[in-house]
Amino acid sequence: MALVSGAKSPLYAQRRRRNGIAMALAYAATAFGLTWLVLILAVLLWNGFSGLSLRVFTEMTPPPGAAGGLLNPILGSIVMTGIAVIIGTPLGILAGTYMAEYGRYDKLSAVVRFINDILLSAPSIVIGLFIYEIMVAQMGHFSAWAGAIALAVIVVPVVVRTTEDMLILVPDTLREAAASIGLPRALMIQKVAYRAARAGMITGVLLAVARISGETAPLLFTALNNQFWSTNMNAPMASLPVVIFQFALSPYKDWQELAWTGALIITLSVLTLSIVARALASQSKSQ
Amino acid sequence: MESRGRQPVADVALQGGNIAVAEVADRGKVLQKLRMTDIGFRWLTRGAAIAVLLILGGIIVSLVWGSLEAIGKFGFGFLVTESWNPVTEQFGALSPIYGTIVTSIIAMVIAVPIGLFIALFLTELCPMFLRRPIGIAIELLAGIPSIIYGIWGLFVFAPFLQQHVQPFLINTLGNVPGIGGLFAGPPYGIGVLTAGLILAIMVLPFITSISRDVFSAVPPVLKEAAYGLGCTTWEVSRYVVLPFTRVGVIGGVMLGLGRALGETMAVTFVIGNAHRISASIMAPGTTISATIANEFTEAVEPIYTSSLILLGLILFAITFIVLACARLLLMRLNARVGA
Amino acid sequence: MTMANFTVPTVTSTVTSADGLTEKISVRNLDFFYGDHRALKTINVALYHGKVTAFIGPSGCGKSTLLRVLNRMYDLYPNQRATGTVQLDHDNILSPSQDLNLLRAKVGMVFQKPTPFPMTIYENIAFGIRLYEKLPKSELDGRVQHALERAALWNEVKDKLGANGQSLSGGQQQRLCIARTVAVRPEVILFDEPCSALDPISTAKIEELIDELKEDYTIAIVTHNMQQAARVSDFTAFMYLGELVEYGETTKIFTAPNDRRTQDYITGRFG
Repeated sequence: MALVSGAKSPLYAQRRRRNGIAMALAYAATAFGLTWLVLILAVLLWNGFSGLSLRVFTEMTPPPGAAGGLLNPILGSIVMTGIAVIIGTPLGILAGTYMAEYGRYDKLSAVVRFINDILLSAPSIVIGLFIYEIMVAQMGHFSAWAGAIALAVIVVPVVVRTTEDMLILVPDTLREAAASIGLPRALMIQKVAYRAARAGMITGVLLAVARISGETAPLLFTALNNQFWSTNMNAPMASLPVVIFQFALSPYKDWQELAWTGALIITLSVLTLSIVARALASQSKSQ
Repeated sequence: MESRGRQPVADVALQGGNIAVAEVADRGKVLQKLRMTDIGFRWLTRGAAIAVLLILGGIIVSLVWGSLEAIGKFGFGFLVTESWNPVTEQFGALSPIYGTIVTSIIAMVIAVPIGLFIALFLTELCPMFLRRPIGIAIELLAGIPSIIYGIWGLFVFAPFLQQHVQPFLINTLGNVPGIGGLFAGPPYGIGVLTAGLILAIMVLPFITSISRDVFSAVPPVLKEAAYGLGCTTWEVSRYVVLPFTRVGVIGGVMLGLGRALGETMAVTFVIGNAHRISASIMAPGTTISATIANEFTEAVEPIYTSSLILLGLILFAITFIVLACARLLLMRLNARVGA
Repeated sequence: MTMANFTVPTVTSTVTSADGLTEKISVRNLDFFYGDHRALKTINVALYHGKVTAFIGPSGCGKSTLLRVLNRMYDLYPNQRATGTVQLDHDNILSPSQDLNLLRAKVGMVFQKPTPFPMTIYENIAFGIRLYEKLPKSELDGRVQHALERAALWNEVKDKLGANGQSLSGGQQQRLCIARTVAVRPEVILFDEPCSALDPISTAKIEELIDELKEDYTIAIVTHNMQQAARVSDFTAFMYLGELVEYGETTKIFTAPNDRRTQDYITGRFG
């Protein structure tokens, strides 16, 4: 009886009401968050597609008022991203390996883990300043190398983190089994642990690529920009994000339009990369 | 041989477990070689781990080195001086620091409650089949490069604010005594408020995904016990989930704050790049990262460059402290959940 | 020396005893520590060549810990250490100069859960062989086949050697792991509750296999299943709270134990 009357008490009604409000807010907040995603993508598609044509991929960036494309920044981005991944990935995998395998319980790993987590969210513009100081200022000129190294510095912590996380997920029983047939640690890691963690580690590299392919700040004063076609790693090189930055803030309509198209290209590649990475990760988890 | 019966005696002697002494010696030699590989690989990985520390060390040393000139010239006055004049070579960091902090505060005030509610939705309310897609969508929002937020903010969001939101704020909140000054002045579109709002959208996914992770770390029995008492979903969240995960949530919030403080491109597009401190958040301002991004390549005088690097050092110090606190809090939560 | 003497753990040299038993491993005054916790207390026990020795006892009694001392698996983790001596033939394997990989190649181990490596069935076996020997392909094939035959798995997998080892059933995976262990040509095989994750039919197969393997190897098995210990072992050691309470011929332990605690455990009064 107490329960039944309790259900109709004013206190209970108030609790119900409060709950209702909170739940409504939760729904509203989610709708709010998703709305931005939809809005940003919609505007991007709308503005980006109108400028999308074959020319974008076959012609160089134009001077103001002329027609042109984004060939040189697209290739510049690919080149610098590629070099950054080639440099950053092995370093990150090795460091993550030390932390998960040889040094799982030692002090060095704990310190590196802490520092790595900070580097993971450190402002990328500071990384640009760092590379400017140690490379551009020393060599006396901006260069694609400097840009690639700056991006590599961003790749490292991402790969370190995922490598460590994925190797720790490899069950200890597998390590013991490898040890039980006399396998030295190095071979156990290379032949057994890496294999078991492969999908997760590839995911990490893909996420790192996604992260750096949109990075602008670290390139602004390392690789700078280049109006023209250049494959010289010792000279400034154009990149999509920097060109977008320059063109979007310019007063010229053509440039602004190209900036939107470039933004669309970057966003689609980044989203594709992260979706593939996630699919890969969930696939390896379900195995 | 294909039968599963016992091996003939001769076969056992040939292939069985008793290893000739010579073979053991052979194995010793092979293992000797493998052990060298092992030691080599161990040092290689250890070296890579140390390289991560060297990166951090390199960042600090190079920033300090690059800013020595400005430190020598301006000293502590750099932190409290508002003027930023490349012509007279007088530089002070007060207005970028102020802008950095104010935009981040605006971002956090908006993004934290919304992020927590979304996390609550994802862990407690959302139907199972929608959890993954919505979770992924929120995380994709985190993956969009900041320059996209910037260009979108400049061409779409700022004009929208200028035409529809800011006049409304100026006419209503602008007349409220006390806080009215915050919303005074003409509607520029770009400015501190706009930058703060864009930052809010940017850090929202970070806060959401970390809060969701820590919320789902709450042991189900704890929640079930509370539901068993007849608690509503809100009461369970408010009095069980949130207190249990408080440390982790604060850690996640600070991680988001670290992002907001250091974010460059999204802010640079919409903040207006004015080196002054205005009472109104509608007015243009600047942040540390926006100042560096805008002016670094134009700075020719060594003292100008050095001042900008000093700004970078200040930014790094602030974010380092915030991120370190965030990590320590998250580590404490993990230790508790693990125990 | 009569069998009854085994109830008091003997400490003798590795010479052949009057009964034709050869001590392969002899454990003397072994203590084991997890940090400050003493998990094994003054253990003395011997494993004989060609015999199966079972370790039984309630969970947490230290039987798996003891097994993991015999191939120094505990060395993979920090803060674990053993004192005393463990003689394998004539070497003290606890000595710091012991080459761990060589030791583990001699003392193989099969785990509670099947642990196939993430590679093909063929590679799972060939991997360990290639580690120590450079063999022509045909000879390697022969060795892989032989190992799989010894593990009674050949007939089931001979047509799918290229399939992933993890695609096999639990019982097959466990036999694959036994084949992998055998392929490295160990002298001792340690089984750590090898059937606890398996169904009764797979369990019967593994037990049959252990019986066949004991001809050539020294075998130790940890099990929480007393019937299994009675079925497969020649000697049984009962452990309780880190101590070796009683050790002797299996029939003796199961029919006329000397110690009250052994009696209580095998009759199911605690455990």
